[in-house]
Amino acid sequence: MENTLHHVVLLLSVFFWFIWCVQHQIIAKETEHAKRVSHLSEKHCSIEEMRHFGSSVASYFIFLRWMYGMNLVLFGFTFGLVVIPELLMGLPYGSIPRKTVPRAEQAKAMDFSTLWDFDGYCKYSVLFYGYYNNQRTIGLLKFRLPLAYLMVGIGTFGYSLMVVIRTMASNANESGGDGEDSDFNFSWKMFTSWDYLIGNSETADNKFASITTSFKESIVDEEENQKDENIHLRRFLRVLANVLILCCLGGSGYLIYFVVKRSQDFATRDDLGWYEKNEVEIVMSLLGLVCPPLFESIAELEEYHPRIALKWQLGRIFALFLGNLYTFLFALFDEVNQKLAVEESIKNATTWATHMHYANFTGNTSATPPPIDPADEFVKLTVSDIQVTYITILVGDFLRAVIVRFLNYCWCWDLESGFPSYAEFDISGNVLGLVFNQGVIWMGAFYAPGLVGINVLRLLTSMYYQSWAVMSSNVPHERIFKASRSSNFYMGLLLLILFLSLLPVVYTIMTLPPSFDCGPFSGKSKMFDIILETIELDFPAFVGNIFSYVANPGLIIPAVLLMVLAIYYLNAVSKAYENSNLELKKKMQMQRDEEKNRRNNQDSTNSIMKDLEDLLPIKSGGGKSTAPANKANTNKNDPPQTAKGAGKQGEVSRNGSRVNPEKEMLLAAQNPRIAVTRPPGPRPPGPLPGNPQLTVPGQRGRGQPQRVTSSNQDPLFLTPEGKVASRNWFCDHLCLRLFRAGLPPDNYSGHSFRIGAATSDAFRNIAPHIIKAMGRWNSGAYELYIRKNIFDLLSMQKKTLCD
Amino acid sequence: MFTGVYNFIYFLISLTVSHSQITRLYSRFTSLDKGENGTLCREDFQRIPELAINPLGDRIINTFFPEGEDQVNFRGFMRTLAHFRPIDDHEKNKDPNVSEPLNSRNNKLLFAFRLYDLDKDDKISRDELLQVLRMMVGVNISDDQLGSIADRTIQEADQDGDSCISFTEFIKVNFYTSP
Repeated sequence: MENTLHHVVLLLSVFFWFIWCVQHQIIAKETEHAKRVSHLSEKHCSIEEMRHFGSSVASYFIFLRWMYGMNLVLFGFTFGLVVIPELLMGLPYGSIPRKTVPRAEQAKAMDFSTLWDFDGYCKYSVLFYGYYNNQRTIGLLKFRLPLAYLMVGIGTFGYSLMVVIRTMASNANESGGDGEDSDFNFSWKMFTSWDYLIGNSETADNKFASITTSFKESIVDEEENQKDENIHLRRFLRVLANVLILCCLGGSGYLIYFVVKRSQDFATRDDLGWYEKNEVEIVMSLLGLVCPPLFESIAELEEYHPRIALKWQLGRIFALFLGNLYTFLFALFDEVNQKLAVEESIKNATTWATHMHYANFTGNTSATPPPIDPADEFVKLTVSDIQVTYITILVGDFLRAVIVRFLNYCWCWDLESGFPSYAEFDISGNVLGLVFNQGVIWMGAFYAPGLVGINVLRLLTSMYYQSWAVMSSNVPHERIFKASRSSNFYMGLLLLILFLSLLPVVYTIMTLPPSFDCGPFSGKSKMFDIILETIELDFPAFVGNIFSYVANPGLIIPAVLLMVLAIYYLNAVSKAYENSNLELKKKMQMQRDEEKNRRNNQDSTNSIMKDLEDLLPIKSGGGKSTAPANKANTNKNDPPQTAKGAGKQGEVSRNGSRVNPEKEMLLAAQNPRIAVTRPPGPRPPGPLPGNPQLTVPGQRGRGQPQRVTSSNQDPLFLTPEGKVASRNWFCDHLCLRLFRAGLPPDNYSGHSFRIGAATSDAFRNIAPHIIKAMGRWNSGAYELYIRKNIFDLLSMQKKTLCD
Repeated sequence: MFTGVYNFIYFLISLTVSHSQITRLYSRFTSLDKGENGTLCREDFQRIPELAINPLGDRIINTFFPEGEDQVNFRGFMRTLAHFRPIDDHEKNKDPNVSEPLNSRNNKLLFAFRLYDLDKDDKISRDELLQVLRMMVGVNISDDQLGSIADRTIQEADQDGDSCISFTEFIKVNFYTSP
C-alpha cells in the first residue's frame, strides 16, 4: 500500500519526462515555422487563430506557453536532482519516523478525502519537505542530498530571474528597433499586412479578420487622440475612484487576516465541516474573483484611453493580489513562530525518547510534528486556485454561452446582444492570475518540491482548456486595443513577483531555524550551514580560507558600492542615448515639416507669380545683360545635356568651361565655388541664378520682386518641386522616363552619362588626359568608361590587313 | 545558336542566380506547365493556392507576363522571380558596366509599387488605395471608414502635396522596413 504511492509518483515523473521531450520538439518546430499555421496538437487551438480575436488574446497564450516552458525546466531540475535521488537512493518509506504515517492516522491515510487535502500518504511523501532525510550523503554515488536541495532551491530563483530578464532584454531590442512613434502607421498596415506564405483558405479568412481588427484598432486610437476633456470634473472623479479602490483593498486585506486567525482557532477543534477546513482558500479565491470586476466598474468613472485604463486595472488587481498574499504570509508566520515554540518544548521531551522511535509510536504520536505548515497551505492554495479557475471558466463562459445560445429561441429579449450575451475573454484577470500563481509556486517550491510538478500539469491542461473555451464561447472585444506595445509589461510584472516571492524564502533560509526532525536540514541551526559544512569537509583547506576572506565585510561593502555605481553609470548612459534618439527623431520630423511648409509656401507664391504675369505686360529688352543672363540660365537648365554627371554641385566648374567666355564672368561672380581665374565683373541686374525660381525659365528679366530667401550657396540643379536634385532622385526619374519611352531601364544608370561622354570624346580623338580631367577621374579608371566601338575596330583591322 | 547560348549565359549572370536554384526553378516551371508547351499561361499560375488566396494574386500573376502577352517562357519566369532573391549587399559590384541587379532594394520596391499602381501613371491614387483596401478587408469595414483610412495613408506618405503616392514617397515609407 505504501509503496504504490511511490510507484505512482515514479510513473508520473516518467510521464512528465516524456511529455517534456515531445513538447520540446513541438516548440522547436513552431519557432522554425513561425509564419505557417502552427499546431499545439489540435488544429482548432492554434495561436494563429487567436489573432483573430485581437493581438492581446494571442499574446496571452504566447505568454502562457512561455511560462509552461520555464516551469518545465524548473520541474526537470527539481525532479532530477532532488526527488529522484531521494526516491531511488534514500531510505525507503517506513524506515524512519518522518517518512511514516503515524499509527493513529493510518486508518484514514488512504481515503480520497484525506488525499485530496494533501494529508495522509501525500503528506509523508516526496511532495513535501518533511520527507527528506538529513543524511549528508546517500547511496553509492555519495549524492549530497541536503546540499542539492538547497542549491536547487536557490537555483530555481536564479534560473527564473535569468530567463525573465533575458526575455525582457530581447523584447526591448525588438520594440526599440522600429520605434514607438510610427509615422507611417496606416501606410505600413496597408502595404505590409498580408502574409504571403498563407496557402490555406481557413487561415486566409483568419488573416482577413485580423487585418480588419488591426485597422479598427488604429481607427480607435486615432479617435481617442482627438477627444477633448473637461479637466476638473475628470480629476475629481479620478481621485474619488482611487479612494474607493483603496478602501476595497484595505477591506480585503483585513478579511484575509481575520480568516487566517480564525483558521488557527479551528485547528484546535476537531468537529470541522468542509467549509471551515477550507475557509482560507475559499475566501482568497472569492476575493480574487469578485474584486476585479468591481474595480473595472469603478474605473468607468475615470474615462481613460482604453490602453491606459487597462494598465490601471492591471496595477490595481496586482495590488489586490499582492496585499492578499502578503497578509496571508504574515498570518502564517505568526503560526509558524507559535509552532516553533511548541517544537522547542517537544524537542526537550524527545531527546531522551529517541531510542524508542523504531518500536512504538503510540506514546509518541505527538513527538512527530507535521511538516512546516506553510508548505501544506501553499499546496492547498494552489490546488484550490486551479479548481476555482476551471470551474469559473466552465460556468462563467461555457454554460453562459450554452444558455444564451439555446434559451434565445424562447426568451423575450435578445439574449445574444442584450443582457448576458457571450463573455469576452478577460485578459487582465487571466494574466494576473497566471503571474500570481507563478509567484505562489516560487514561494512554495522550496518547501514542497512536488508543487512544481502540479503547476506543470496545471499549465499544460489550461493551455488546451482555455483555448477551447475562448474559441467556443467567447467573442472578440468590442473595443479593440493592445495592452502594451511590447510584451515587456507582463514580463515586468513577473519580475516584480519573482523578487517579492524571493524575499520570504531567503528570509527563512537565513534566519529561521529548520524543524529539528523533519526535512533535509534537521539538526542544524540555520539552513545555509549545510554549505559551510560542505566547504569544510569536502573541499581542500584553502577553499575554506578563500571563502572566509571573501565573506569579510571589508570586501563585500566595496563590492556592493561598486555595483551600485556601475548601475548608476549604465543608467545615465542609457538615458543619454534615449535623449539623443529623441532629438534625432525630432530633427527629422522638423525637417519634414519644414520641407512641407516651404513647398506649400512656394506653391502659393508660384500661383501668385502666375497671376502677376497675366496682369503685367511683357517687358522686352530689359537690358543687354539680361539677355545673356537668360541664355546662361537656360543653358544651366538642361541637366541631361551636360555630358557628364548629374546633380553634383562641383558640376558648376564643368559647366562653366562649356559656356562662352563672356558668360564665365557671370558665373564666376555668382558661384564662389570655382577657382576664380578672372577678376569678377560687374554684377548683372538680374536675380541670382542660384535662385529656386530658376525652374520658371524665360522670366528672368521681369524685375520680379526678390521674395525668396536663397543665396549664392544654393544648389544649381533642382527638381520641379524646388528640392535639391540628388543622385537618387535623378536615377529614379531616369528610370521612369526610360520606362515610359519603352527602353529597358535596367540597362541604364547614372553612370551611363559618364560612359557616353567618355566614349564620344574618345571617338572624336580627344586626348586621354583631357578626358580624364573633364570627368574628374583621379585614376586610370576612365579607361573603363570608354566603350569599344566595334565598327572602329573592324575598320582599323581592315586597314591593317589591306596595307 | 552559339550567340543564343552566350546571351542566355549573360542573362543568367545578370540575374546572379546559382546553378542549383536554376535547376529547382526549372523543375517547378515544368510541374506548373500542364500543357507542356514550354510556356505558362495565367491558369497555370492560378493553380498555386497561395496565389489564388492572395488578394493581390491576380496582379502578381500579371507581372509575370510582359505587356499584352498571355504566355511566359522560362526566361521571363526567372526574370520576375529574380526580384525575390535576398539582397546581397556584400557583393557590391564596383564594376560600372553592370546595371543594378534585379533583386536590389530599389528594384524590389519598384516591383511592389507596380502592383499597386494599376493605371501605370507612376502614382498610387486614392482610388487605387481604396481598391486595395477593399480587397484586403472586404465588407467588414464601412466605406466611409475605408475612405478615411485611405486619406490618412496618403496624408502620412505624401510629401509633394499631390494627394498621390509617388515612387519616391513609396520608397520613403518603406525605408525603415527590413529588406
